[in-house]
Order: sequence, then C-alpha cells, then structure tokens
Amino acid sequence: MSYVDVNGKQIEVDEDGFICDPDLWNEEIVRCFARLEGVDELTDDHWKVIHYLRGYYRQFGIAPMIRKLCKETGFNLQRIYELFPSGPAKGACKLAGLPKPTGCV
Amino acid sequence: MKSPMRLAKAEDVRAIGLAPAAEEERKPRLLAKLKELRGSMRSLAVMLDTCVKCGNCVRQCHSYLGTGDPLNAPPARADLMRKLYRRHFTLAGRLLGRITGAEDFDAQTLDAWLTYFYQCNECRRCAVFCPLGVDTAEVTIAGRHLLSELGMVPRFMQQVALNLQKTGNNMGIPKPALLDSVEFLQCEMLEETGLAVKIPVDQAGSEILYIPSSADFFTNVDTIIGVAKMFHALGASWTISSAVLEAANFGLLFNDSAMRAHNRRMRQAAEELGAELVLQGECGHGWRAARLCTEAASGPVRFRLMHVLDYTARNLGRLALRRLSMRVALHDPCNYARAGDLIDEPRRILRACVEELVELAPNREETFCCGGGSGILMDEMMEIRLKLGKKKAEQIQAAGRIDYLAAGCSICKAQLPHVAAHYGMPDLAIGGVMDLVGKAMDMNRSTGGV
Amino acid sequence: MFFFGYILPYAAAAVFVVGMVRRTWDWLSRPVPLPLTVSSVAGGRRARAAAVAKELVLFPSLYRGDRRLWLSAWLMHASLLVVLVGHTVGIAFAAQQFRYFGASKEASVWLSGAMGLLVGLVFTVALLTVLYRRAANVEVKRISGPDDYLALVLLLCVAASGLAMRYSAEVDLAEVRTYLAGLLVFRASPLPRAWLFLVHFAAVNALLLYFPFSKLVHLTGAFVGRSLLVQPPPVYPTPADGPTAAPLFSQGDRP
Ligand code: SF4
Ligand code: SF4
Repeated sequence: MSYVDVNGKQIEVDEDGFICDPDLWNEEIVRCFARLEGVDELTDDHWKVIHYLRGYYRQFGIAPMIRKLCKETGFNLQRIYELFPSGPAKGACKLAGLPKPTGCV
Repeated sequence: MKSPMRLAKAEDVRAIGLAPAAEEERKPRLLAKLKELRGSMRSLAVMLDTCVKCGNCVRQCHSYLGTGDPLNAPPARADLMRKLYRRHFTLAGRLLGRITGAEDFDAQTLDAWLTYFYQCNECRRCAVFCPLGVDTAEVTIAGRHLLSELGMVPRFMQQVALNLQKTGNNMGIPKPALLDSVEFLQCEMLEETGLAVKIPVDQAGSEILYIPSSADFFTNVDTIIGVAKMFHALGASWTISSAVLEAANFGLLFNDSAMRAHNRRMRQAAEELGAELVLQGECGHGWRAARLCTEAASGPVRFRLMHVLDYTARNLGRLALRRLSMRVALHDPCNYARAGDLIDEPRRILRACVEELVELAPNREETFCCGGGSGILMDEMMEIRLKLGKKKAEQIQAAGRIDYLAAGCSICKAQLPHVAAHYGMPDLAIGGVMDLVGKAMDMNRSTGGV
Repeated sequence: MFFFGYILPYAAAAVFVVGMVRRTWDWLSRPVPLPLTVSSVAGGRRARAAAVAKELVLFPSLYRGDRRLWLSAWLMHASLLVVLVGHTVGIAFAAQQFRYFGASKEASVWLSGAMGLLVGLVFTVALLTVLYRRAANVEVKRISGPDDYLALVLLLCVAASGLAMRYSAEVDLAEVRTYLAGLLVFRASPLPRAWLFLVHFAAVNALLLYFPFSKLVHLTGAFVGRSLLVQPPPVYPTPADGPTAAPLFSQGDRP
C-alpha cells in the first residue's frame, strides 16, 4: 500500500492512487490529489463535478452513469475531459474519493 | 521481461474463495493441478502433444506481431506449459530432458506464465491457422486457471470477481443504483422519442430475460437504449435482472469455478423470472461462455439461449429503420467470429441501419483482436494493450475515413478508444451495433409498437 | 545380426503400433468438458467429418497462412503417402503391378522404378526445404528444438538411403522381398547383406521407435485436434435425452 501525504496526514491509496477508505475523504485531499492528477487549479466547475459524484456515491455506493453525470452537471464529455484530463472514471472519480470503477471500462 | 500487471494480495484472493499457495507449495500444487487438468481436458492433452512447430500460426498472432516478443508467438507461449508437461509427464522428457524440450519448474516459471498467458488475448486466431487444430487459447486458459489455483490472480480480475460475488455484475452496481440509472434512461428516451420506452427490471413472468453488459450502465448507454427501443418496437415482453446484470463472464478468463458460478446466476435468474428465452447482450467472451459452457456449468436448462444480434437480425423486417448517412466499419469481435456464429448477423443489421458498411481486412473468421480480449483491460497494462491493438489499428487506418466503428462487445468498446487515440484516430466514434439500431429506428413507424 | 534382422523390426513395429494406439486412446478417453468450437460447421456429423478431412487432405490453413510452407508441407506428406503405398504395392507385386494396366513386364518394372525415384526425390526435396526453412527463418528457428530437427533428420536418412538403393547394383529387390515377406508371416528368411538396404532398414526402425514419443504423434493427433475445433455447440433448451457435455474438471464450488 502506498500513502499520500496530505498536510502531514498519511492517506492510504491503492496502486492506482484511489483512496482506500472513501470515508476519509475531504477537500484537503481533493487539492492534494488534483496536483497529482495534473489539475492545476480547482475551479467551481471542478467542484461541481466532484460534489455531484460524491453525493451520488454516498447515496448509491457507486459512480453514476457518465451520461447522467454530464446531464446533471451540464458539462459535456469533452468539458469533463478538459477539467479532468484522465477522464470521468479515472480522474474525476479519484478526486471525488470514489473507488476506481472496474469492469469493461 | 516481467509483466507490469498487478496481482491481488493473498487476503483479497481468499475473499473470492481461492487459496493462495505458499512459496514451497507452488511447484507440487502446480504439477498436481496440471495433471488433473490435462486428465480432464482432451483439448489440453492433445494440444500439449501435437504441435509440430511449423510456425504457420506465428505471424497470425497479433500479440506476437504487436509486441515483437518471441515468447508471444503462439507455439512459444504454449511451450511455457509444454516444457513442464514434458519434463514431468512424458517418458521421453523424463529420460532425455532438454533434447525433447523438457524443462523443470524454476524461479522464472511462474513469472513467465503470468507475463505471457496474460499477453494472449485468447482470440483463437492461431487455431484457425493451425493445420493440426492446436488452439493456443486453450493452453492460455488452462495456464491462467492453474495460476489462479496457486492464488495468482490479477488484481483486476479479483476486483471484478468480488463485484460479481456482491452484486452479480462486473462493475458492482447495486440494485438501487440500477433503478436510478434505468429511471434516468427512460427519461432520456421519453425526451427523445416522446414514447414511454421502458427498461423493465426484475419483472417476473417476462418471456425474455435480457442480460446486458454492466458497462451499458456506465459508459455504453447507447447500447442498452438501442436494445430497449427495439424491444419496445417489437412489443416484446422482456426484463433485465438485477441479480445478473452481466453478460461477461470473467471466470472463463481466469478461473473455471468462477465461470461456473456466474453461469449459474444466469440460470437461476431465468428460472426465477420464468423467462423462456435468455438473450445475451453485446459481450464477446460472455457469449462464448453462455453458448458453449452453460450446459456443462449449469446442467440442463429449459430456456432458449440467443444473442441479441441474432434476435435483432431475425426481427429486422419488423423494425422501421431508416438508414443513417454514415460510413461505418464493422469490427468482428473474436468470440463472435470464432465460436460465436455471429458473422452475418451484425452485417445484416448494419446494412439496414447505415448507408455504407465498410469491411476491415482480414475479417470474419480471420478477424484480428482489439487487443483487450480475455480481459486484458488493466490500466497498468496500457503500454502492452496498445501493442496488442496495433494490428487492429492498422486495419482501421486502412479502411479510410469512417464515421463510426461498430464493435458489439464491451471489452472492445473499452479497449478500442485507447487504440484509436494512440494510433492517430482520436476522434473516431466507437460503439456497439445495437447503438445504431436505436439511432436508426423510427419509433413511430415500427410495427408492433405499444 | 539376428537381433537386427529378426527382433528389432518386430520390436519397432510393436512400439509404433502400441505407442500410437495408447497415445490416441489416451486423448480420446479424456472428457471434453467444454466444447472448443472455433468454427461451427453447418450440418451433422458428416459435414463435420468432411471439414476435418478437407483440412487434413489439402492443408488449407497452411495455404491461407504461408503458400511456400503449404507447398513443401503438402508435398512432403503427399509424397510420403505415395512412397508408402508404392513400397507396399511394389514389393507385393514385385514391381509387376502395371502389367494389370496393360504394360509389359519390363515396362512395368521400369515404370515402378521411375515413379519411385520421382516421388522419392520429391519427398527428399520437400524434406530439405522444410529443414532449410526451420534453420533459416528466424521465427521458425526460434520455436524449434532439437527434437524438431531430429524428426526431419531421421526422415531424411530414410529418404536418402532409400533413394541411394536405386543406384546400388548390390541391392537385389527379390532378396529384400523375400526377407520382408518372411517377416510378415513370422518365417525367418535371410537378411539381405547390401549395406544400403541395412542403413535404410535401420533408419526406418529408428523412426518407428521414435515416433510415438515425438511430435510425430500428430499422425493421429491432427484428427483429434481438428475435430475439437468443429464440435457442435450445445442446444438450448437442453434436449430431453439429457446434456451431451461431460462434467467440468474441478468440482469445488466457488462464488
Ligand atoms: S489466442 Fe490469439 S493472442 Fe493468443 S496466441 Fe493465439 S493468436 Fe495469439
Ligand atoms: S500452426 Fe499449429 S502446429 Fe504449427 S506451430 Fe502453430 S500451433 Fe504448432
């Protein structure tokens, strides 16, 4: 297991850099993950996506369909990729503290 | 070369019901299991004996062509198991050793197995070119199964297996999330068509149990939309089951027991819902597992089993389709073209849905794999995946300008965008066959509509 | 010489026959838990047999893959088959077989010899081509082991010594014929002393002894392997007379 240092606190992440315990998630962690993901500045648009994912995950225990994510945030897929260069599944979900989506994706 | 592929930790392997072997236990267990497997699989027994090393299959394997690694040549790959087999199970190998190609288990054996059995897409193209019918995919499957018996399972496979155990689908979608997604999709379709197109969930008494790929509820929503519209237009009585929201069967790709367990989920759901016809969605190896393994894995079944593409092709006459003005190329997924008997069906469907259908060459039974086949979809394997996809990329490039690449398999759909982007086709639209059916359908004119 | 002339041939034949039967039986007695269909063949058992036969008579998979390999491999197998038939007929009829087609005695002997020579040459050249390919083509060389060369070298010894016999005044066909006929009916006839014959005969025996322990088992393995590829898929719903598949290999239940 590897750890990411978030303001002096060691946060456990898996091999792909996803948080191991989604309950530990907080905004500090997002800022730290963002740097690692190559997201230089967290804008309101970023937060909108992150909070939506977070809320959905809290309710359903999984990431929403990509199409739903786009519709609910009002961003098209291209915009999501602009915001999170590694995409909705690997980028946005990581920042939002979700486990990594797996399967045929 | 050591593979970058990550293995699941011992406790995670235990969580999916497999028993990791301690270091010193590995060799004896491997040999015992190899003996058992060879004893119960005619294919493995005959294939370990008969390869004449004619080399005809070597340049037919996209894995070898793409990676250039000599050990990815099918006969070399199979030899990784063959040498152990010769050393321990043949008279000549025991007496003469290396002259007969026999070699004992050593520190590198398992690394080599993990590396090369997980760089074979189990596409069976080599088998089509082997005059003796040696199908290296069988050896690969046996090899991966043996590795899993030692507790050596890719982390990716382990996660999928765990999700299957918990939710009955690869992605781990729980029922409330599924219901939410279905609701959303129904709204989308209502918005688009003005019709209440339904995606029934767990509807007992339905004639048809449709088994989608769980990725249809994450990335490939157009596939399930296409399917729902078709059923709507035909007025079919159908349902999906929250217990088996997965056409894929990764067990086939790493562990036989997991394969059977998932196969039984299908049987159980069909029986509980009273479905008379089980329709498999767009998934290549899943179709192979369902069609060829159900009888062996789940015993005699009372339902009919069909693939959605076959079903759609048979019902084309009843669907009002207008041809989309698109130039579409068809990728034959390995398991449809080699074993699946789904070669003409997608072509017939596409000809009815689009103006121009382009063939990739070679195609049909000689199709090249997308490079993700057999579940080589791990992120950490990306560099290798792109090499495995090289032949496919060349084929697509050679097809000239196309608007859409139709690939009726979730693994292909997950792998091909990476391949396309890497080989200079970042804007290529890639999706399923049913996606186009949905788009080409004139919902208000289709016969049998509700 | 007694061992060489009167024990070895029986031993070699026995090893060959018993070895091949056992090996083939060994494959066939193993269950087929999951069909391994690669190409479905429409039609029943007959159509499937025809598909296997076509592959094994014409080698279309080699033709599609590599024309040159196909040509040499096909000629190698076909000429070997003709040579074997030629030996049987030629020896049984003392090269008089063509008289049944109206040829004179001399013409028949000449024709028999000429055909033997021609086909033997084809066989040898095909073997040499295949051997050359194995050593010269890097991709094939990489997958070749000592045993792959050994099989070819043994066959070449048989072919070369056989061809050479044609040019040896020493070899007396009648003598060879008597000896072989004697072997067949278990009555000892004198072993011909022509050294070329002895070399040829020794090579054949070595080949027979080696056969069941080598990749040459593809003689029957090809039928088993190719039939697996065209197995019919199971039918659903499962017919009333029960499933056709054997039970799966590991019995433990796992999620
Ligand atoms: S199954 Fe496909 S990837 Fe595997 S060895 Fe054969 S041709 Fe190569
Ligand atoms: S084509 Fe068949 S016999 Fe030839 S090398 Fe490949 S697996 Fe072996």
